[in-house]
Amino acid sequence: MLKLMKYELRKTMFSKLVLLCITGVAEIAYLVGVFLKTDKGDQILAFGAIGLMMCMMIGIFYIGIDSLISFHRDLNTKQSYMLFLTPKNSYQVLGAKILENGLSIFLAGVFFAVLIAVDASIGILYIGGVKEFLDLLNQLMISIQININLTPQQILMPFFAVLAGWLMTVVSGDLAIVLSATVFAGKKFSGLVSFLIFLLIDYIASKVLNAVPVVRDLMVQYVMIIGACFIMVIVMYFVTGWIMERKLSV
Amino acid sequence: MLECREITKNYGRKTAVDHVSLKIEPGRIYAMLGPNGSGKTTLMKMAVGLVKPNAGAFYYKGQPIGIESRKEIAYMSTEPYFYAWMTAKDIGKYYEDFFEDFSMKRYRDLLARMELTEDLKAKSLSSGMMAKLKIAVTMARDAKIYLLDEPLNGIDLLARDQIISSVLEAVSSDVALVISSHLVDELEKIVDTAIFMKNSHLVEVCGAEEVRIQQGKSIVDKYREIYGHGGEELC
Repeated sequence: MLKLMKYELRKTMFSKLVLLCITGVAEIAYLVGVFLKTDKGDQILAFGAIGLMMCMMIGIFYIGIDSLISFHRDLNTKQSYMLFLTPKNSYQVLGAKILENGLSIFLAGVFFAVLIAVDASIGILYIGGVKEFLDLLNQLMISIQININLTPQQILMPFFAVLAGWLMTVVSGDLAIVLSATVFAGKKFSGLVSFLIFLLIDYIASKVLNAVPVVRDLMVQYVMIIGACFIMVIVMYFVTGWIMERKLSV
Repeated sequence: MLECREITKNYGRKTAVDHVSLKIEPGRIYAMLGPNGSGKTTLMKMAVGLVKPNAGAFYYKGQPIGIESRKEIAYMSTEPYFYAWMTAKDIGKYYEDFFEDFSMKRYRDLLARMELTEDLKAKSLSSGMMAKLKIAVTMARDAKIYLLDEPLNGIDLLARDQIISSVLEAVSSDVALVISSHLVDELEKIVDTAIFMKNSHLVEVCGAEEVRIQQGKSIVDKYREIYGHGGEELC
């Protein structure tokens, strides 16, 4: 399984390196802005901060999309032989993909959370104190019409709930890709039908998440939502693996 | 050793393989013969689990094919299938990671003999070089069955000799080789059994020596008889 995961990582390595490079440019801009302490510096800081936020949001989104593109290629081109000639079953092949993608999404999330924490600390140290830094950040947020009055915990828990939800969406995409390559293979409009099925699966998944009981403690609420996402991921993993094992011809 | 019973595969309305039953025994070299679309490739792909049959099944050592059979059956597809980012070295490492019977030393020897280097990128190879690379990585496995789909396709005469000699080195009393090809006369020299496929059916399995002695024909004559004028009646 680890060897399969290693090659899954290798397949999506290029886009992750591109993301890392762009993040590096935004980070340099942010740090230059912090150290310059001039009006021009503030502009560069704003550019860097917005760049980092964009890298985080688009980057994590793209890691999921890249995994779907790779999976589609693995089932619909001759490179599928590289996976399905190995002495591994479909559950292992799919499991390696989901685990690698889940870990990539989670680690990217942690990476950006740590980066933001470090950048905030640097900002506090060099701009002249917490209040000044928050004022500057608030001005920036007002300028892009976002108002934040939250604790780090209140930001992190929904953030990780969003990551879990995104992983669930990616796995429902995997299921749709497998349906397209098996049940609907060779049929007219198989791509469209699979996309509609993906929307249906995602709709059902969102209904399941809505059915999570509401509790007073917000942290417990998020833990329950993340748990529900993982249960959905596991259910869809077994359904997808079962279809692949019985129906998939590459 | 490897056996299929009443195996059938349909692609939509088209039947690629129709109720084929066949046994592959160790210590023999088989030529799988037939024109394009006769079902050779689909049959090989079903033997390694790449294609799922609609009916019937393949068995290896009495068990349905699966993870265990893939450890002992080496398949070489006619199409290139390596990841584009891979070099010849990466491909060897990949096989070493997944197949216990893969020998990196033998792979390097085969690459050298085929005049290929480890730094060659898979996506930049010509069809001839790709064919040699596929043979090198497949034959570097110490498998019990080798299924080679059109290994001589698009290969010049000298390279063909290199490929055939590399393939024949794997022959032993507990190993079976199945080679599909259109180049019947090339295979005639090395095979001891011919499998004739036509229009998705298995027409005949016959020993080369038996055909020569009992019928006074070569495999090439037999091929002409089956696929040439009047061959339709055999199917």
